[in-house]
Amino acid sequence: MTIAFSTHRLGKDYGDRPALEPLDLEVPQGQHVALVGHNGSGKTTLLRMAAGLLDPSVGEARIVGHVSGSREARRALSWLSDTPTFYDDLSLWEHLEFVSRVHGVEAWEARAESLLATLHLTTRRDDIPTTFSRGLRQKAAIAIALIRPFQLLLVDEPFVGLDQPGKEALLQLLDDAAAGGATLVVATHELAFVGRVQRLLALRDGALVYDGSPADVDVHALVLPA
Amino acid sequence: MTDATDATPATPDATAVATLADPAYAALRRLRRTRQLHRLGNIEWFDAAYRVYLLGLFGGGSILWISSSVKDANVSAATADSIAAHAPAVLGLVAAMALLAGLRGGAQGGPIALEAADVVHVMLSPVDRRRALLRPAVQRARGAVFAGATTGAIVGQLAGRRLPGSLLAWASGGALYGGTVAAIWAGAALLAHTRRLPRWLATATGLAVFGWQAAAVAWHVPGPGTACGSLGLWGWRQHPVDLVPVAVALAAVVVGLTQLQRISLEALARRSALVAQLRFAVTMQDLRTVILLRRQLNQESTRRHPWRRLGPARSSTFTSGVWRRGWHGLLRFPLTRLVRLAAVAAGIGVLQAAAVRGTTPAVIGSALLGFLLGLEIYEPLSQEVDQPDYTDGLPVERGELMVRHLAAPTVALVPFAIVAATAAVLTMGSTDAIVPAAILALPTLLGGAAGGVYSIVRDAPDPFSSAKQEVFIPPEMAGFTTTLRLLLPIVVSALGTCSVLLMRSAVRNGGSLAGAALRGAIGSLLVAALVAYWTKVRDRVRIKVRAFMQEGRAQTSAKHARSGT
Repeated sequence: MTIAFSTHRLGKDYGDRPALEPLDLEVPQGQHVALVGHNGSGKTTLLRMAAGLLDPSVGEARIVGHVSGSREARRALSWLSDTPTFYDDLSLWEHLEFVSRVHGVEAWEARAESLLATLHLTTRRDDIPTTFSRGLRQKAAIAIALIRPFQLLLVDEPFVGLDQPGKEALLQLLDDAAAGGATLVVATHELAFVGRVQRLLALRDGALVYDGSPADVDVHALVLPA
Repeated sequence: MTDATDATPATPDATAVATLADPAYAALRRLRRTRQLHRLGNIEWFDAAYRVYLLGLFGGGSILWISSSVKDANVSAATADSIAAHAPAVLGLVAAMALLAGLRGGAQGGPIALEAADVVHVMLSPVDRRRALLRPAVQRARGAVFAGATTGAIVGQLAGRRLPGSLLAWASGGALYGGTVAAIWAGAALLAHTRRLPRWLATATGLAVFGWQAAAVAWHVPGPGTACGSLGLWGWRQHPVDLVPVAVALAAVVVGLTQLQRISLEALARRSALVAQLRFAVTMQDLRTVILLRRQLNQESTRRHPWRRLGPARSSTFTSGVWRRGWHGLLRFPLTRLVRLAAVAAGIGVLQAAAVRGTTPAVIGSALLGFLLGLEIYEPLSQEVDQPDYTDGLPVERGELMVRHLAAPTVALVPFAIVAATAAVLTMGSTDAIVPAAILALPTLLGGAAGGVYSIVRDAPDPFSSAKQEVFIPPEMAGFTTTLRLLLPIVVSALGTCSVLLMRSAVRNGGSLAGAALRGAIGSLLVAALVAYWTKVRDRVRIKVRAFMQEGRAQTSAKHARSGT
């Protein structure tokens, strides 16, 4: 069994405040995982450390066997943040081209057009995403995260700001990615989404309090702070 | 309708992975070139030329004016000997400061600041990070060295007017020294970042070197920066050994550049976002935002646990509430800020003593420090200004609230006044200075901090906005208005701290030192009291002035309507 994402004693503290207690975790290739927890429970910290955007205080994270942040790990991992970031002098289409090319994808146009159509962004392809509304920025970020090849998709609060068609489009894209063999780890407060995943991880005050099937637990109780 | 198969992401295969490195970097280079062309295309060339013209006119003019104001006569042989003996150590102190700043900056994520989008889209892609970061890092180091060399050349040619050696030689020596100091800063920052030096270790190392060099200045012992400082005198005489720091600084930069792949993305991401905001805030002359962002860059956050918890309130009055709110904030000041405030207070004491001993420009230095002290210590007032919605929701006049916010920080200034007085007495080196320093310290700090208070209150959002008026300020006046706006708080601080000149007069004329200190203290307190009063009545006065002007405009309109014009 190939492990797409693993952590070994991975922990983070900000001064005297632990954000994530040392955590051991293994997510097999192709698994669809939801990460839940109250605000400040450590979800974003865990995902950002996995993406290589935060330095762990202890332990390490590995992406398909490679240390997080390494070139091989970056090649396999796509990161969709809850705070989309764009160049302020590139159109959405130019963003898609750049991200595709920097990941070595030559024939990217068809995939880009397909993504934009799914996300109802076709008419905005030549606009600058920094001028978009919150929801449109989120959709643009989704397109950019999915335009490139990946084995593991880490997603932080993807539904925030999305309208109902946007949510449905995202769910379809996530399903497509899972069907393509990608591993998905999605941090969310959207509890309705939890029913679609194979595995549920719940964090509370930086500690893992549940790891199992979403069907076996009262998810609402899990996301309450201690 | 999207084809589901089409939308499915491809898993990278081995062939694609093997050939990925070069296309990734090529894509990055292409992006950078495209964006450069975009930027060049967006430049208003006439506007840019006008700016260069203005810079040349005022910058060049200022340098010429300062140069011409330096006497051309050579210094005496004794003075020249003294400079030859002491200047290398003193100039070495600047190099040690650059090392300290570089180490601290590097430990906090410097010296590179990428765009936030670059951090996400480039640094998280499989591009070779060292190659991707090389250009911004080289640009940063090159920019710093150029700025250092230019400053060194300007100062060098000024020194050359009074010291042996040609102007060209002094300018060249100064450029070499300035460039080396900047390279020390850049190299230290790159190494501290890429070696992931902990902040405490970076600060401790930098302070140790700085302290050693300070000892070299004070006691004429060999210092780690003296050889670098000696470069500053190359316009006069050259010692080949002085080239060692040049080689070391360049080597540090090169080694740092080769280690760029070790850079911390966490530090880089934090710094990138903050530096972008900082640049914007500086452009907008938004001093408060600059201060807040500097604190964030230095990772200076308020304490979770206050130094001391306040007991239960004895009174429920409005004044008591604001007083307690002030102390809640002050008691959460982090240690670094307290140390900085103490250092600023000590600096004020030293400069005030220097002014008494005859160095008049030291008053300006103490005014600047007093201004900074005010911006820091009156933090509760700044916080109130930062939250105008809360303030506007309170059933009290804003002026009444703001003036009450001055009370707690004013009391908190007392220990810093003791630090300032001690520093002044030590600088004067005489017990005769104890009584005047004790009398003058707190009033001077208050007078100096008054400029900071003036700046904070003035920059508060104006509910009676004059935005429309500002729009119609002609461009010729806009520059003058901006300059005046920048300088006015410093002028207030200077008025609050210049009373020390009465002391100097007493020293020169043999008058009573305590009497002069008392008169000076009254003057400084008067400035502080005036600013406090202005804080209280500012809004009321503005309302009256506005009503008066509107009334005048209404009468003029009515008059024109009657006359049919």
